[in-house]
Amino acid sequence: MLQTWRELVQYRFLLKQLVILNLKVRYKNSVLGFLWTLLNPLFMMLVFTVLFTIMLPQAAVPNFPLFVLVALLPWQFFSNSVMMSTSSVVGNAHLIKKVYFPREVLPLSTVLSNLANFALALVVLFGMMIVLRGPITIWILLLPFMIAVQLIFTLGWAFFLSTATVFYRDVPMIMDVLMLAWFFLTPIFYPINILPQSKEIFGIVLNVQRLVYILNPMASLIASYRVILYDGAPPAWDFLLRTTVTAIGFLILGYLFFRRFRRSMAEEV
Amino acid sequence: MSAAVSFEDVSKRFVLRHERAYTVLESMIGLVKPARRSTEEFWALRAVSFEIPDGETFGVIGPNGAGKSTVLKLMARILEPTSGEVTVRGRISPLLELGAGFHPELTGRENVYLNAALFGVSQAEAQDRYDEIVEFSELKDFIDAPLKHYSSGMYMRLGFAVAANIIPDILLVDEVLAVGDEAFQRKCLRKIEEFRREGRTIVFVSHDLDTVRRICHRALWLDQGLVQAVGSTDSVIDSYLQSMADPG
Repeated sequence: MLQTWRELVQYRFLLKQLVILNLKVRYKNSVLGFLWTLLNPLFMMLVFTVLFTIMLPQAAVPNFPLFVLVALLPWQFFSNSVMMSTSSVVGNAHLIKKVYFPREVLPLSTVLSNLANFALALVVLFGMMIVLRGPITIWILLLPFMIAVQLIFTLGWAFFLSTATVFYRDVPMIMDVLMLAWFFLTPIFYPINILPQSKEIFGIVLNVQRLVYILNPMASLIASYRVILYDGAPPAWDFLLRTTVTAIGFLILGYLFFRRFRRSMAEEV
Repeated sequence: MSAAVSFEDVSKRFVLRHERAYTVLESMIGLVKPARRSTEEFWALRAVSFEIPDGETFGVIGPNGAGKSTVLKLMARILEPTSGEVTVRGRISPLLELGAGFHPELTGRENVYLNAALFGVSQAEAQDRYDEIVEFSELKDFIDAPLKHYSSGMYMRLGFAVAANIIPDILLVDEVLAVGDEAFQRKCLRKIEEFRREGRTIVFVSHDLDTVRRICHRALWLDQGLVQAVGSTDSVIDSYLQSMADPG
């Protein structure tokens, strides 16, 4: 483990180059280039705002554009990282077969380039918070911590999925469907309190709200982002702590899985 | 004696799965109906042992499919041995394929940095070497054009320029001299010659026996994954030629 870490430090220039490559390739030949990082969430925000304040105005949420943007940006960071990481090893088969380098840099660079995108998108978010008169409070200072927890959680998935795709090429297709379901199951464009507090399924009374938080680490992450940036209030510490522990657990499991198979990647891709 | 590379009883097995379950559906069908699992084992190397002392130029020869490239890939740590132990001391520059890792959308300049990074150098070192690399490649005028507009010869030249100027302790050369025009080939050989004089370790895989004879101190002859001979270049090549002239 220590040796891998030392190697990663040695190959940090490669990591940086791959992050830059990911960003460059994504916007190559597009007229607006990096502007898309900023425009995409704004358009998405517009779509959801039109949909839920004009077409389906049942659940009245004040300041809906900010409400949705605050959740959408972290979600896109997660979802883009996960989808891109599935092919991060298989898509670089030509490198893995020809050159030795610590394989960890492949999923790492994918997630880090999405983190860079997310950081840019946060500029848009702060701009919108000023325009839409969002609450600017001391709790914004928790943002780096939230991002760190999400990064850890995302890396766990990236390590796991990049390895799984080496052996099963339909992982990206499965994840495509799964991420759509996950998107709807996460309170992004609806407030968590529209879910029932108690619902009877097969004679068992479930607190659906609590269940969503417990089963879905993204739900409590997104909820925490929303509390600090939209409500301007301190997050629910117990959930945040539990999410942090879950995220670290995911990273450990995902990385162990990656490590278990990284030796044979050159033969299997 | 300090060895730059040592192979101790190294074997490498590849498993050729003719019906490999590549999708989840296929593997689930496999659970229900464990069909004829036609896997085939293939030993690319069997109990190969040799040592390359520091500063030696070492040739690897043998017919196609003898396991030469597998030996290089094991040295470069791209593959792991099935059994036995491969020990390598020092930084290896794997010239397994020129321009491996080049990205066609990036410019020559960007690719030089990307490729240098792939070889594990720091940003400072890459910047230090940049001018030498470009000068060696003779591609100064094209260095800011995207690589997709390069000819294959230019591509190879840039690839060799990076790999040869990163200053590895051990240089692996696999048939790379088959590319490029004659002038550039001579330049590559001169570079290898220079490495030799600097006392660096070179592992040279080639079908070009004359070049092997000229530059290698010692040679390894592989056939079907087995060591046929290892020793002084002349004697190994002589017995290799003899076996080809006199099959059976």
